[in-house]
Amino acid sequence: MKKLYRYTLAFLLAGVSLGLQSCEDYFDLHDNPNLVSSPPLNAMLSTATHKTGLNSQRVAATTSFYVQYLASPVAGNATDTYQVVDLTGSWDAIYLAMADIYDMKQRGVEEGASDYVGVANILMAYHLNLVIDHWGDGPYSEAFNNSTLTPRFDSSQDLYAEALQLLDEGIAELNKTDSRVTLSKADDLIHGGDKTKWIRTANAFKARLLNKVSKLPSYNPAAVLSAVENSYQSNADDAQMAVFVDINPWAAVARSNTSLVLGGWLSEQLVNHLNGSTYGVVDPRLTRITDPTVAGTFVGTPNGVGNVGPANNTIRDEVYISRNSPLTGDLAPITIASYAEMKFVEAEAAFRAGNRQRAYDAYIAGITAHMNKVGVPAGERDAYLSNPAVGVGAANLTLDLIFKEKYVVTYLNAEAWTDARRYDYQYASFELPANADLSTFIRRIAYPQGETSKNPNTPDSPVLSERLWWDQ
Amino acid sequence: MKNTFTLILFMLFVLGSSGAWAQQRQVSGRVTASDTGEGMPGVSVALKGTTTGVSTDAEGNYQIQVPDNNAVLVFRFLGYQTREVTVGSQSTINVNLATDAQELGEVMVTALGITREKKALGYAAQGVQAKELTEHRQPNVLNAMQGKVAGATISSTGGAPGQGTKIQIRGINSIDVNKSNEPLFVIDGVIMDNSTSTFGQSADLRGMSNRLTDLNPDDIESINVLKGGAATALYGLRGANGVVVITTKSGQQGSLRVNYTGTVGIEEVNKFPDMQDTYTQGYSGVYDRNSFWPSWGPTVEEARRLDPTHPEKLYNHFKDAYEMGHQYRNSLSFSGGTEAITFLSSLSHFRHEGVLPFTNYENFSARLNTDFKISDKVRSGANFNYINSGGFRYNADRFNESLSYWSPRWDVKDFRKPDGTMQSYGNDNPLYGAATNRMEDDVNRFIGSFHVGYSPVSWLDLSYRVGLDNYTDDRTRTAPGPRGIADERVYEDNEQGFVYEYTTKFRTINSSFLATANTKFGENFNATFRLGHELYDRRVKGFGVEGDNLTVYDYFDLRNARLLRSTQTQSDYRLMGIFGEASVDYGNFLFLTLTGRNDITSTLRKPNNSFFYPSVSLSYVFSDHLQLPSVINQSKLRLSYAGIGKDASEYATSSGFAPYNSLPTGYTGFTRAALLGNEALKPEFTNTFEAGLEMAFLDNRLGFDFTYYHSLSKDLIINIDVASSTGYVRAAVNSGKMRNRGVELVLNATPVRTESFTWDTKLIFSANRNKILSIREGLTEIPYASQFGYVGSTVTMKLIPGQPFGNIYGSHWQRYYGPGEEPDPLFIDTDRPIVIGENGFPVRAPLTSQKILGNSQPDWIGGLTNTFTYKNLSLTSLFDARVGHERYNQMGNFFSAFGIAEYTENRNEFKVFEGVLADGTPNTKQVWLGQGIGPDGVGYGDGFYRRFHRGVSENFVEDASWVRLRSLTLSYTLPNSWFEKTFIRNSSVGLTGNNLILWTDFSGFDPENSATPSGSNVDGFAGFTYPAVRSYLFTLNVGF
Repeated sequence: MKKLYRYTLAFLLAGVSLGLQSCEDYFDLHDNPNLVSSPPLNAMLSTATHKTGLNSQRVAATTSFYVQYLASPVAGNATDTYQVVDLTGSWDAIYLAMADIYDMKQRGVEEGASDYVGVANILMAYHLNLVIDHWGDGPYSEAFNNSTLTPRFDSSQDLYAEALQLLDEGIAELNKTDSRVTLSKADDLIHGGDKTKWIRTANAFKARLLNKVSKLPSYNPAAVLSAVENSYQSNADDAQMAVFVDINPWAAVARSNTSLVLGGWLSEQLVNHLNGSTYGVVDPRLTRITDPTVAGTFVGTPNGVGNVGPANNTIRDEVYISRNSPLTGDLAPITIASYAEMKFVEAEAAFRAGNRQRAYDAYIAGITAHMNKVGVPAGERDAYLSNPAVGVGAANLTLDLIFKEKYVVTYLNAEAWTDARRYDYQYASFELPANADLSTFIRRIAYPQGETSKNPNTPDSPVLSERLWWDQ
Repeated sequence: MKNTFTLILFMLFVLGSSGAWAQQRQVSGRVTASDTGEGMPGVSVALKGTTTGVSTDAEGNYQIQVPDNNAVLVFRFLGYQTREVTVGSQSTINVNLATDAQELGEVMVTALGITREKKALGYAAQGVQAKELTEHRQPNVLNAMQGKVAGATISSTGGAPGQGTKIQIRGINSIDVNKSNEPLFVIDGVIMDNSTSTFGQSADLRGMSNRLTDLNPDDIESINVLKGGAATALYGLRGANGVVVITTKSGQQGSLRVNYTGTVGIEEVNKFPDMQDTYTQGYSGVYDRNSFWPSWGPTVEEARRLDPTHPEKLYNHFKDAYEMGHQYRNSLSFSGGTEAITFLSSLSHFRHEGVLPFTNYENFSARLNTDFKISDKVRSGANFNYINSGGFRYNADRFNESLSYWSPRWDVKDFRKPDGTMQSYGNDNPLYGAATNRMEDDVNRFIGSFHVGYSPVSWLDLSYRVGLDNYTDDRTRTAPGPRGIADERVYEDNEQGFVYEYTTKFRTINSSFLATANTKFGENFNATFRLGHELYDRRVKGFGVEGDNLTVYDYFDLRNARLLRSTQTQSDYRLMGIFGEASVDYGNFLFLTLTGRNDITSTLRKPNNSFFYPSVSLSYVFSDHLQLPSVINQSKLRLSYAGIGKDASEYATSSGFAPYNSLPTGYTGFTRAALLGNEALKPEFTNTFEAGLEMAFLDNRLGFDFTYYHSLSKDLIINIDVASSTGYVRAAVNSGKMRNRGVELVLNATPVRTESFTWDTKLIFSANRNKILSIREGLTEIPYASQFGYVGSTVTMKLIPGQPFGNIYGSHWQRYYGPGEEPDPLFIDTDRPIVIGENGFPVRAPLTSQKILGNSQPDWIGGLTNTFTYKNLSLTSLFDARVGHERYNQMGNFFSAFGIAEYTENRNEFKVFEGVLADGTPNTKQVWLGQGIGPDGVGYGDGFYRRFHRGVSENFVEDASWVRLRSLTLSYTLPNSWFEKTFIRNSSVGLTGNNLILWTDFSGFDPENSATPSGSNVDGFAGFTYPAVRSYLFTLNVGF
């Protein structure tokens, strides 16, 4: 019994003293064990580059319906028919990526890591470009910096100017040679730590931005050409990202489709573009993009109509995104911007500047580069190039031809929709989807519910056929 | 060890002492219960006006010394009416105690296990006794309390086996959706965790248990609900949402008693939505037996002409997909003891198969409660409870969503091909999903406590208690991968096959010390002083490995997965309180209690982490003071005021960088944490004023207890959802003020009481009014939840100053306002005509106009219990009502989008929509409601329902009021004479029906359920829930 007393007393004292004695440290539990306060720059770079790659695909997963690369197997699908769809997921991914990029830049500035500051600027400019292209105005000057919980929306024009400036500053930072921390090869998931390639990417983004305003009086083809010259020199320079938890997200769509979780059906517009129906010439890239149907043919699906069969959706009598394609295979990188695309930017700018020969050379170089990228053998490639519908000669080059060929190069890239709008969807036989919700082509995306509901500064989204600032 | 008085005696008579032991004689007798006729152990038998008393033994016998013939004996037992008997010349006094319909004479277990007479309490507290808790055989203790406690809103989140139940006392006190608004649960003095963990992929939609479900209801002796600030003040901030004090059964001195209770029952879905049965699969009226669209095709007759294999009638796939559920519980308890040691031990096994196929739940519980009397001055005890629980949970949200896509042209029950892969015409088969896409939880829990009490002198008592609540919660998620068979259809969610393993380790240590001193001064004053210390230390650590892409399609082993991902989370929480209480009573009719407590919490930063709050309460038993007509029995007036502080969630003051987990093995990255922490967070405070009146009449056959309360919460701490443009997902802020006002009423009556027949009735009623008075400067609203709806019909729940918590905002039809008339910015005016567009269809207001379409908090709740007892037969009914609240019916939205709802039967009709054109003139344009080109040659595209109806939230925010016959139980106590020569002491049988009748206008499943887990404060969504069930149960109880 004595023992019990003693134990009791011990318990009692333990309890009381535990609380009273060392309150100071005992209640000091502010370091969240789930977080770190200052991760190294390379661990921020891996996140920033990975998110950028994924975001370029994420946005394209919607806009590829608008440019009719893809069509829904289901009739009247909301995205396919221009209904308002809530893209909170994409918007959030873009803004949360920008926050990470912002943090990387801050840390880079603190540590005198100019390489990281430069890359952060370029990635930030890329994301601003996505906002400008899809929604128009967007938060930036008050965003991600803890100054307010309801950031104001900066005008599209301001974002545009900011993006250009960020690119110029980024190039300047990367040209410095005294970065206190050098770019991590292993954690730079886009260029493997190659500063030269980053500078070229900065110029490629700059070329895109400058070319975007082709409808506006401020359009300056000479500036576009200058940026293009400083951008990619070959396919090896392309900005792409190939690190996936599982497989390339397009390949994942294709894999699900094989399991009859339907998706990734190629649009009739794209397939006819390539299979000779529209232009009378079969593009050899067709078989590098997709696989033939069970009948050995290439059949697309009309937008808004859904599966047209003739068989039901379990029979592969139309074509889809393919895991066999070098663009959408399991291990295929996501292309963010490419040498081939730059050649078409050059072709367009040169054409608009009146330099037909340069335009034509770039046009041919662009097709050639893309054929090489997707692995078209030289013979097939040259046959295509020499086809009178393609190799028209400098004198016969038209903007239509440039846009027609660029349409293939930007397959499943978000930039395609920007081109389509600049070109006013003038592609041959491009039509409104069946049962479209709008009477004209779609021109913008509605602000997402996620931002609208939490940020009262979000502007009202006008009808989706209303053009954005640079598209007027 | 000396034999003097029992522990119970000790506890009851710590108040003062005056020794009057002279010239005594002995009186003895037996106390029996009127409801069972059995001897009652543990009844307090006291000599009125003195501190002398004894308690009855296991058979109900007692012996007591009385000074003279004028002595009055007071017989008192929790849940029974107190009886006073003048001794006179009798030497044997046998007493029969009636159950208490009127509870004023009760002894209540209040904060920290302190037992006080109910009449001394200056605040509202309501008790529920074992019989009330177990008679309807609800497997979850919280459900057993439904309709019985004024001010408590208790809702099942769904009818799944083991599914969580929510409880809210006096409405919402704190507005952070991620922070529990549930009361604190204290079991035998130890804080018991009642969280609902949603750790693990999709667990938030799988109806996980609230941890109180682990408790075997048959183990419980009583539950007391402490509602207001003054009642819970000693519990500190953890008690800010009210406290539920649970006392488990304990053993009684005497020979071994064994009690067996067995329940077996069946159940079915209690309510299905109405569905159209005319139109079959296809789109635009065109039949297609492989179409994704389940019901936009032609009529069945037309389809049958094209496809002779089409069934004659459509299947009712919702009814087909659910089946009959069943359950059984077996509980066995042993109790007994000597003067030195008493014990109660119980074993229980519960198994429940749900109405949604492949869902189940099992619970095994073992308990040992012991009490030791070490000496006159030292007592001690220990309680242990081991529980193993868990089962297969399915995502009812997904199940019902897939059912909405499923075409009733096909038999949903034919879900598996002979080779084991999914049978389907094209869409995912929901039953195949339920069969293969699984999650099982397995909880091993140990709750133990040890207490010791020491009373060195008669006026001083010291007690210490330490308790542990510890569990591991293992969850396994599996789905088979594709097999690569020709024509194989893969269930979408199963992807490439996966196995995910999760473990949560939960541990709390709770220690409390209490010193009590009694004193008496003057003729009429008694005082009790208490001083205490409490410590609460919690650690929760969870980790998981998620393996995707199985090589062997059905081998659920992490080593069989090609991709592995890990997830981990940890949180520590520490809280210490130092508190004191002083209570003084004057003349045994005026009771004043003052308390103060200072908390130090780990979730706030200095100096905000330490804060003090006081309470004061007064009870005036005017019936014992004033000369009242004899028709009035004991009656009292209560007044109280309390301030109570509340801290933040763990780590709400910290920001930082979290691992970026979207990279494959071999890469690491960090990303900005979702939460913007706030180092300057202050505690939030709720100040509550409460007044109450309790009266009893006509020999306690009629009584009421009325309470009014008013509470004001300020500096509310909330992790608000912020726009992603801030770079964060949430931000921690102190945000504004909120008010709750309400009334509670408990009415008791015994309209009939004769020798053989009794009718007891009890009515509870409560109403709470909430208002957000202000929110953080710079914010105009705080959205805290939203649920998807098609094309702009997504609804949002948000806080706006001047409006109550629970408002549901969404899109609405445009109403007509003439020149100079301004629409209300917040509400829609349903009396006004709807604006019809030039195309002849109603116009939706711009999506930026989001208005209040309803509120999820009820106007009032009520419960009515009637018990009829005739000899050994007893019938108890419970009606339960929740009136004046709305829910967003997401399933209704899908039913419109997919042509499933019964009202879409009119799709091939012409209609002139009632309303006016933009200029105010009546609409006369006739339109066709169908899809494609109408009979009038006009193209109608996707048709009325898909183009217009489904996109307007207003159509799907419905009145969710309900009244139900919650329970009906008929029980029969077999006459004791049957068992006279057997080892059986007593036996009873019972038949129970739960949820027998439901009256509601809600078009979906039972609107009591919600789409959010039981730990959530969001209760505005009731679409794709696990449907509620109607159950029929048979119970056998035998005592040995």
